[in-house]
Amino acid sequence: MKYSKTTPYFFILPMATGLLVFRLGPIIVAALASFTKWNIRTAPQFIGIGNYTEAINSEIFWLVVKNTIEYMVIFVPGVMLLALLLALLVNQKLRGIAFFRGIYFLPYITAMVAVAMVWNWIFATRFGILNFALTHYFHISNPPAWLADQRWALPALTIVAIWKESGFQMMVFLAGLQGIPTSLYEAAAIDGADKKQQFFKITFPLLSPVTFFVFINTLVIAFKTFDITYTMTGGGPNYASTTLVFYIYQNAFIYDRMGYATANAVLLLLIVGAITMFSFKMKERWVNYAL
Amino acid sequence: MKHHNLLLLTLVLVSLIASGCGGKQTATVAPPASTEKPATEETITLRYFMWDPEFSEKEQQMVDKFMAANPNIKVELEAVATPDYWTKLQAMSAAGNLPCVFSMSSGYVDQWISDGLLADIQSYVDRDIKPDDYFTGVFDVVRDKKSGHMHAFPFAFVETVLFYNQDAFDQAGVPYPTDGWTWDDFLSAAKKLTVDKDGDGTPEQYGFWFYGRYAHIESWVYQNDGRLLNKDKTRFDPDDNAVAALKFLNSLINEYGVAPKPKEMEGIRQQDVFPMGMSAMWVDGAWNINNVREVAGDKFHWAIAPIPRGPQATGDTAYGWPDSLAISANCAHPDEAWEFIKFITGPARTIDLTFGGKVPIYKPVALSDEFLERDKQPPNKDFLLSWADHTGPTSFTPGWGEWRGYADGAGLEGKLNSVFNGEEDLNTALSEAKEHANSVLERYYP
Amino acid sequence: MTMSVTTPKSSGRINPRHIRIVLSYLALTFLAIFSIFPFLWMLNTTFQSQGAVFSLPPKLGDMIFKPGMFDAYKEVLTKYNFMRYTLNSLFVAGMAAIGQLITASLAGFAFAKMEFKGKNLLFGILLSTSMIPVSVTIIPEFLLMSKLNWLDTYLPLIVPSFLVGTFGTFMMREFFSTIPNELVEAAMLDGATTFRIYRTIFLPLSVPAMTTLFLIAFIHNWNDLLRPVLYISSSSLRTVTVGLTSFQGEYGARWNLLLAGATISILPLLIIYIFAQRYIVEGIATTGLK
Repeated sequence: MKYSKTTPYFFILPMATGLLVFRLGPIIVAALASFTKWNIRTAPQFIGIGNYTEAINSEIFWLVVKNTIEYMVIFVPGVMLLALLLALLVNQKLRGIAFFRGIYFLPYITAMVAVAMVWNWIFATRFGILNFALTHYFHISNPPAWLADQRWALPALTIVAIWKESGFQMMVFLAGLQGIPTSLYEAAAIDGADKKQQFFKITFPLLSPVTFFVFINTLVIAFKTFDITYTMTGGGPNYASTTLVFYIYQNAFIYDRMGYATANAVLLLLIVGAITMFSFKMKERWVNYAL
Repeated sequence: MKHHNLLLLTLVLVSLIASGCGGKQTATVAPPASTEKPATEETITLRYFMWDPEFSEKEQQMVDKFMAANPNIKVELEAVATPDYWTKLQAMSAAGNLPCVFSMSSGYVDQWISDGLLADIQSYVDRDIKPDDYFTGVFDVVRDKKSGHMHAFPFAFVETVLFYNQDAFDQAGVPYPTDGWTWDDFLSAAKKLTVDKDGDGTPEQYGFWFYGRYAHIESWVYQNDGRLLNKDKTRFDPDDNAVAALKFLNSLINEYGVAPKPKEMEGIRQQDVFPMGMSAMWVDGAWNINNVREVAGDKFHWAIAPIPRGPQATGDTAYGWPDSLAISANCAHPDEAWEFIKFITGPARTIDLTFGGKVPIYKPVALSDEFLERDKQPPNKDFLLSWADHTGPTSFTPGWGEWRGYADGAGLEGKLNSVFNGEEDLNTALSEAKEHANSVLERYYP
Repeated sequence: MTMSVTTPKSSGRINPRHIRIVLSYLALTFLAIFSIFPFLWMLNTTFQSQGAVFSLPPKLGDMIFKPGMFDAYKEVLTKYNFMRYTLNSLFVAGMAAIGQLITASLAGFAFAKMEFKGKNLLFGILLSTSMIPVSVTIIPEFLLMSKLNWLDTYLPLIVPSFLVGTFGTFMMREFFSTIPNELVEAAMLDGATTFRIYRTIFLPLSVPAMTTLFLIAFIHNWNDLLRPVLYISSSSLRTVTVGLTSFQGEYGARWNLLLAGATISILPLLIIYIFAQRYIVEGIATTGLK
């Protein structure tokens, strides 16, 4: 494509303006605040790298980092697999398929208060349907107290998060699947390729840019999980279900420590940034933009 | 030429935003402006922030009454639900733009005073307030610890009480709690009130229900003459009486089985356990009266009573604290702001503005027959008025939410839950809690 | 069809295509039950009287088919000016989402098909900024909006979203990348400008992605609570999410009203979704390759 040197800048101008003023501006202030003691209400005081050394030497911080990684490791593949499965299912030409698409999308738009209420009830120790099923059909005598158990609280939240997020990523996959020309499948069918071969020879490679996008997107969402923790466990018991962004919120607004919260946010950025950079480096190996 | 289209597009965008928002603004700002009375003299405007949107309509009526009586003062009420209330208030403080008058909680007031954000109102109080007309027992909570001056004015207060299910007591043949009920009396009642109807080893009705929550724990500590903090409230250092209270509470679950492990009740809102009939007794704030009414309905009779006294108690010590109104330190019209506070904390704050078991700070209102709500349970709401005379200490400090643990299952609350769940022993948990709490408190009191 | 004939044991003439359809429906139904369950429960709760909302084990709404069945909805709609809040939310979310379509597709085009200095750096910054939690940026942002004198207007809710969206830009970049360069070259030979190529080739080919983006941006802005609470003070400017908080008090909430309000507030989202999803799945078919 031929274009003058300045042309690309016109295309990115609105985005770059917004990025600079409304995103980068506040972030730079926040980054500066990470070197201060700041309770929001009154002027910050400079304390050097104190917040960083405190975080690195804090047991709670590392527990929270560990929780975040554990959460991500289940959440990202969970959402991607479920979303892809849903997208493939609803990409068929079947009667009433639009109805199913709508239903799978519902969790994403249902208000979190309602979601939390229902899932709290599902996970309830005594009267929850999950433990009812476990004791009556699987004869497990002492099922866990899911959300009150330090081992199970985080996995339980992860399940809720996968349930809530998958419909959204399904839509992205679906948009990607729709972009694959049907002529390719017809040609493959003439060549005698079965459905499985068609998936691995056509769908998967052609969907790889979208898959990559969903991956990065899900990764960022995994690190930013907040609402579900906030409404269901509050991060407990004893920080067992606290993840980084929730911890940052707690420090910023509950514990009166905006300075410390911003230092944590910078550390978070380093972690997610490293993983994302690595993902981009690995991208060439499996992402195809054209067949 | 090439860029022509793009530039045009950007222009269209910008004008679209501007026109869209501009149009909206003029359209919506106009109606309130038209209702405004023409300013005759100098009219001043006070902004008033509150945290209770559910009551904002009634609050507005009170504000209207004040404005009718004071035509030169315009009050703009804004109600924001917590926790966004605090986020917004702090953001406004950071922008140097606090509202003149705002609701202040007892949990945060110390910190806001030491930040220098609240106006000293002691001289107004000395000038205008007749102590006999108010429940002054809770005033200490809003005093600056150094000068002793009040920096906020209470409009209502709450206390923790013992809720009990009268029908369950009758069925078990246990006499109702009385003044001076001891822990032994309580325990023997709780044993009889723990009922396993179907014999599966899990009681359907427990004698009692609690977990590591502040209202559940501190109430017992204070009734044993105990303290969680040292004298000047700068370190977490539970005394022997406090530890004895924690041991007693732990024995209720892990020795006598008259209360469930906290994790057993997970999934049920803590305030619903008692009204659902799953425990015959419960200690929590009297503000829960409304919820108990709604959830229990007419399924059983219930009443409220003093917290049972521990062996070390010399008298009654109630755990209570106020909700207050503060004037920001940089309010341009503190005199008018005080007039407004005096108005809405006095006779104007009628009973329908208080929630269930909250008590208005102004005695003539609180002592009215209306407050007793005789057509509703509990039958002895007047107990709240007499219990107020025993108001004692609180454990609120700067950093309270962090070391005490509130709604986050961490801090002291989380540690105590581990003990009550049988996962950790009390001494270990307390020493861990102490380390954590003092690392928090050291930040405020080096 | 020929395949089923070649398998000798298919005595009952079961068409494998039919089996697949049946299996698909089974899977679809099974997953649908999981998805819809909490939503149905929310609906059920709106038919409970106030005290019965949290009863455990849960019960079917005690108001169902009784005279006061829709009382919660009536109260929400009449007492709290919910229609006004809904219109406000439609405006805010709609403007922000339209903006996303324009600015994200423009930037996505440049990122996907053009080379320029600072491209990777800019994209890196864009992506990184989305990793910073809003908890630490919201106070500086508030100070900025306060300095701009934008408090109590819709500008803080619309302008930033209008101009910049990481999800949108990134998504459009990935979708545009899959469009073959041959199409571009052919158009270039016809003398088309870059903007024309963007408008007449890339946009029509990306209708599914653009629609998805609109939907996501709309929902995202519709559901935002923190910013409307912080920036809006006048009750006439309130959005639906802020309106929902009017059922919350210091010591609890009026849950049946809160959930009735929540149900009403997702109706517009559902309607928009129903319209949008047709473009997502039929986008290519209707626009075709020009």
